[in-house]
Amino acid sequence: MIQILLRDKLDDCITRWHAAGYDVIGPQKNNNVTRFAPVEKASELDLEIILTDRTVKELFFPQTEPMFRYRIGKQAIDTEEYLPPGRKRIIFGSRPCDASAMAIDDPLFGWDFKDTYWFQRRNETVMVTIACTESDDFCMCTSLKLAPDSPLGSDIMLRPVAGGKGWHVELLSERGREAFDRIEALLDDSAAEKEPIANVPKRFDLDVCREWLADPENFESHFWKEISIRCIGCGTCTFLCPTCHCFDFQDEGDTYSGIRRKNWDSCSFALFTMHTSGHNPRSTQSSRWRQRIMHKFNYFPGKFSMNSCSGCGRCSRQCPVDMGITETLQEITKTAK
Amino acid sequence: MTEKTNNGRQNIYKPAIMKIVDKRDEAPGVKTLRLEFLDPLDHEMFRLHYRTGMFGLYGIFGEGESTFCVASPETRKEYIECTFRQSGRVTSSLANSEIGDLVTYRGPYGNRFPIEEFYGKNLLFIAGGIALPPTRSVIWSCLDQREKFGKVTIVYGARTVADLVYKHELEEWQNRSDIDLVLTVDPGGESPDWQHHVGFVPTVLEEAAPSPDNCIAVLCGPPIMIKFTLISLRKLGFQEENVYTTLENRMKCGVGKCGRCNVGSVYICKEGPVFTAAEVSKMPQSDL
Repeated sequence: MIQILLRDKLDDCITRWHAAGYDVIGPQKNNNVTRFAPVEKASELDLEIILTDRTVKELFFPQTEPMFRYRIGKQAIDTEEYLPPGRKRIIFGSRPCDASAMAIDDPLFGWDFKDTYWFQRRNETVMVTIACTESDDFCMCTSLKLAPDSPLGSDIMLRPVAGGKGWHVELLSERGREAFDRIEALLDDSAAEKEPIANVPKRFDLDVCREWLADPENFESHFWKEISIRCIGCGTCTFLCPTCHCFDFQDEGDTYSGIRRKNWDSCSFALFTMHTSGHNPRSTQSSRWRQRIMHKFNYFPGKFSMNSCSGCGRCSRQCPVDMGITETLQEITKTAK
Repeated sequence: MTEKTNNGRQNIYKPAIMKIVDKRDEAPGVKTLRLEFLDPLDHEMFRLHYRTGMFGLYGIFGEGESTFCVASPETRKEYIECTFRQSGRVTSSLANSEIGDLVTYRGPYGNRFPIEEFYGKNLLFIAGGIALPPTRSVIWSCLDQREKFGKVTIVYGARTVADLVYKHELEEWQNRSDIDLVLTVDPGGESPDWQHHVGFVPTVLEEAAPSPDNCIAVLCGPPIMIKFTLISLRKLGFQEENVYTTLENRMKCGVGKCGRCNVGSVYICKEGPVFTAAEVSKMPQSDL
């Protein structure tokens, strides 16, 4: 039996989820930027866009978040923890690339030592993903061996049905069970044709690239200087990347009281690796771009058996100097062949 | 969260609070702090997890955290000693703290020196300048069970006599008959009453010519010293597998997540900081 969530039932759906204690978060356009934010009703959702400008990453790993408030006394230091609020959430309308990216980062935040901030939010969040039936020139999920309907990281998958009247609903995980049960009564079992998923062409040969990156000789290749010569080190690609996870700690306050925060950081920045002595192991922009590519397609897969890239294409889409992962891997594919 | 995976902490970024119980000037700008845990549970976790070679993140709220080794040995877990050069915001703040003040600590993190594998072997320790602290942690771990090891040789050099750290311990080692201590300062760094060698560590090491037979070398120092000392060790016949060293890089989390301390694919915070020279030579050298 095919179960269809009709578009005009979306308000009922959100109401039922709210009644069950879920916050519902979906894509919205605000000041010309599309990102995920809490919604009260369906009309606030912007479901037509292919991909939001900002990723769902910030819902699990905010750009800045307080970890502790500290107060320093003579006999004791009082630290008060700020942990995530512990509310059940449904992220409605994320795309498979963003949902996959969250699953890709799970082992990183969990290897050996577990990051409470990440996992508390992951555990309380149901990802309701919409499979893509459209793509743009920057989409590259298929080049990463993922797809416009990859189930990785999603708890419930929605596939648009022909005519745009709703979505075919599929429960993918136990974590999505309660959210699914709450709306099951709303689902329509009329037969409807699923729209075909987007045709995203292959933009580079990942296997060829990974083999080239694995060759120690290529680490010193002049290629890195040429490919990154335009890079201005702004960090946009890393901040807009759903899998980029690098962070920094900063204390706001003084040595009596204040807040220790966890902030996004970027391997594009020279200060990222600078020693106090002045020595910097990644002292050039090309060494930093090499680190980014090597990390995503060599180091990370070596540790966690997944590429640290889900092919959303935001790095290329938003780069102010028109470079990105796609261009680099296309060039490597050419160089290696 | 299990004790094993998170050092007993639910929040891995939450530091333990420690009290400064002793403070020593080692050399110009170099200080040692002895720290004790306020919370017995934090102390218990440290006892459980700490092995020589591991590091910690020491800090002052309002300034931040800095990474350095635990300079005290695994045979003495009542306290933590750390030795550091005052150079940035955090280290300046730590250096200006007084006995009785409170500081933060996270750790111990990283891997360790496999000391049991050194049982029955001769030990050669080589250190330069401010890199004696990580070496000293291994030295005392071995000296505290001296009978398990063969000959112990320590080669230590600094730029000037004033820059030698742990001077009181050097004197103690000097007076022990079961340790060969070779001290040197760079040419021009000697004082009028200096009784020991004048010359760079690699040269002095080659003159001392310790035998590589059944010997483990532990080498810590600035990169340039390591580079040339490795050449000397090779000349003396040491295999890279028998030479241990420690690497350092900027760190924020200490637990493999913040993304900055890797050399090639190797995360210094998790797979290091202790490596054999053979392991280091496999890393991309331009990333060091």
